[in-house]
Amino acid sequence: MRRLKGRLLDLIVVLFGVSVITFLMIRLIPGDAVAIMLGANAEVTPDRIAELRGRIGLDLPIATQYIHWLGAVLQGDLGVSLWTRRPVSAEISANVWPTIELTVMALVMGAGLAVPFGVMMAWLRGRGWDVALQIGSVLGLTIPSFWLGIMLILALTAVAPELQLLGYVPFSQDPWGNLARLLLPAFALSLPILANLARLVRSAMLDALAQDYIRTARAKGVREYAVFFRHALRNALIPFVTSVGIMTGYLLGGAIVVEQVFAIPGLGRLILGAIAERNYPLVQASILVVTVCFVVVNVLVDLLYAAIDPRIDG
Amino acid sequence: MDATALIRPTYPQGMSAMKRLLATTALALTLALAAAPARAQVLELAVDASPAGLDPHIVTAFSSFQIINGTIYEGLTAIDKNLAVVPALAKSWTVSGDGKAYVFKLVEGATFHDGTAFEAADVVASLHRVLAKEIASPLASRLAAMDKAVATDPHTVEITLKEPSAAFLSALASIAIVPRAYEANKDGLQRAPDGTGPFKFVEWQPNGFISLARHTGYWGKPLPKLEGLKFNIAPESATRQIGLASGQYAMLPNIDAATALQLKGRPNIKLQDTLELAYTLVGMNASKPPFDNPKVREALNYALDRAEIVQAALFGAGTPAGPLSPALKEWAMPLDQFPCATHSVARSQALLKEAGLTTPVAFTLLVLPRQDLKDIAQVVQAELGQAGFKVELKIPELGQFVQDWRNSNFEAFLSINGGAVDPDDNFYRTFRTGGSTNVFKFSDPKLDTILDAARIETDQSKRKMAYNQVQTMLACQGPAAFISYSQLYTAMRTNVNGFEILANRSLATLANTSVSK
Repeated sequence: MRRLKGRLLDLIVVLFGVSVITFLMIRLIPGDAVAIMLGANAEVTPDRIAELRGRIGLDLPIATQYIHWLGAVLQGDLGVSLWTRRPVSAEISANVWPTIELTVMALVMGAGLAVPFGVMMAWLRGRGWDVALQIGSVLGLTIPSFWLGIMLILALTAVAPELQLLGYVPFSQDPWGNLARLLLPAFALSLPILANLARLVRSAMLDALAQDYIRTARAKGVREYAVFFRHALRNALIPFVTSVGIMTGYLLGGAIVVEQVFAIPGLGRLILGAIAERNYPLVQASILVVTVCFVVVNVLVDLLYAAIDPRIDG
Repeated sequence: MDATALIRPTYPQGMSAMKRLLATTALALTLALAAAPARAQVLELAVDASPAGLDPHIVTAFSSFQIINGTIYEGLTAIDKNLAVVPALAKSWTVSGDGKAYVFKLVEGATFHDGTAFEAADVVASLHRVLAKEIASPLASRLAAMDKAVATDPHTVEITLKEPSAAFLSALASIAIVPRAYEANKDGLQRAPDGTGPFKFVEWQPNGFISLARHTGYWGKPLPKLEGLKFNIAPESATRQIGLASGQYAMLPNIDAATALQLKGRPNIKLQDTLELAYTLVGMNASKPPFDNPKVREALNYALDRAEIVQAALFGAGTPAGPLSPALKEWAMPLDQFPCATHSVARSQALLKEAGLTTPVAFTLLVLPRQDLKDIAQVVQAELGQAGFKVELKIPELGQFVQDWRNSNFEAFLSINGGAVDPDDNFYRTFRTGGSTNVFKFSDPKLDTILDAARIETDQSKRKMAYNQVQTMLACQGPAAFISYSQLYTAMRTNVNGFEILANRSLATLANTSVSK
């Protein structure tokens, strides 16, 4: 509980810091929202530009804008999207599900497969298969997911052209179509973390296997697979769980690229688009949401430690 | 239509050569392998950017324009494929002898998508909405000549102008008619557009798609053959192309030559093309050295080998440019009438010498971040180098470009300017002293006089003479070196019939489009 409280305090500090930085950064990018929306070559007079700026509140000093925004956010109002006037919360909730689904699927695939692969690599250490798997994992780490995505689409359209691979349908509308469309992007997204985590499990397993308690266990006559899974794996899982927490952050970043390639209307696309059109309230709120996700995942990871290792105080 | 520059780059900015190579490899393979049947009667289109909104009076960027113009919304007039002004919601009109009073007879039986009847009051409200200060519509200057609009009966509108305006009827084609209820409503149409067009808005999944359905109460006959349109938003060029090749998408509207050439000759894909009204240009800042000197501007013009640029940067899919697009057959002068259209390094060097400048003449060229323009910029840099200019290229992010462009914060820029069907629209706002897009800060009293007179002249042959003079004055010594008009393409599955590409990027002909099995 003590840890949890400390973490909540951390969360508040992080959120405040992130909100200030985002607020300033997005405004430091040259070119403001009105200029972007009108584009080059639109015929507008300066007074109309001023009118448009006033309309979306950009004519106030930055500090005032921030205070207005912060006040509203503290009351649960994330603001409205600059041009569509739709509540930012509605924009985010419309785009957040594809990303959550995508990241969770990728995380389950990546982390789920990393354990057996890593254990297998440790089991087979030094043999031909270990080398092959290691090479495979280096490839997995280095292949850019956008390219992998395109190659996967290509391969599948060649084999089964009638498959609908692009875009997104909500689970509630078409559960099978939803999963079918997300499988490929989730795989493309998960490959680097699968490779990364499998390597980590392998080396953590090898570390654990070199410990005294393993020798003791073997000396007691514990069977080799029990040594592996009950003693070594459990200890190897602690660095693994930490990494999974960090990987979630990478996944949220990687999702931007994968969403681009597979035309998935997710949070990554939303943020990217919002930055491009300098949709300040939308950028600020979406980044806050992502930050909250990231911090919450890390708190969960902390709690998981306690479950894995009773010596750690939950 | 203006706001040309908001077209997003074909490739995302910063996409490295390696990424492109990889993407292209993937594509080439897919295109070779994929072939699939097309599907139902909803036409699946893929576009690169999500529109900022769908209010026709506020958002004028092409990403919005192509979704709403002629599909959801109609104006009193429209522009057809020959770039002629034709009746739309106004079935006919008369003009008074002095050219100041227009009487429009409106079509009967038209309804808005919300079910209310279309009447003269809606026309008046729409015109007022565009002019209203609170709406701050970028289209307001199109109606600058308008004095007042009155609905004399439910199907007649009388519009009085302050002075005659030859471009007025073509300007009306860009003013969408919205229900009168929205006259003072700033935000309502951004998310939920409501027009009289053949397709009505159904759903917008942000960053996902925008879907439209046939408007069964459409006044025009016959009714659209398609049940609906679905604009899928797919930001990756590679994704759009794979989607078309595999049949998931049936049409990629308004794409550039580089993309089109990758799709050319692939199974089940056909292309349509037309010459764009928009032109690429090197714009020069006439308010500061070195380009405040007409001789230097002329030298730059002679140094450009336009044919080479079209070949090298546009894959031959374009044509060297004079001040007006050759698509405007009635107005555009042939290129050989302009001396600087003939590339001459010697002449360019001589002019720089006459201007008293020591070479190399160094300047920075601000480039709009779009792939085709970046390619053009490199050729321009090399060509100008031969004549004694030393060009440094600066390719900023789009927002930065727009800001510098609007504030005239450049020595020269390379960009694309949207063209219009009437020469007044092309020239007045861009080249007249104080014009709203005269970012060159160019000022020539003689040109101003001609432009002022030509816009209120109603005699066609006199206008033609005036605009010939304008073209001659601008071609070699003006603040813009006109480079090229690009070929614009639409790629579609071979079973898509009846679509016709329009030079102004409108997709209005989707109303006549069908998909065969």
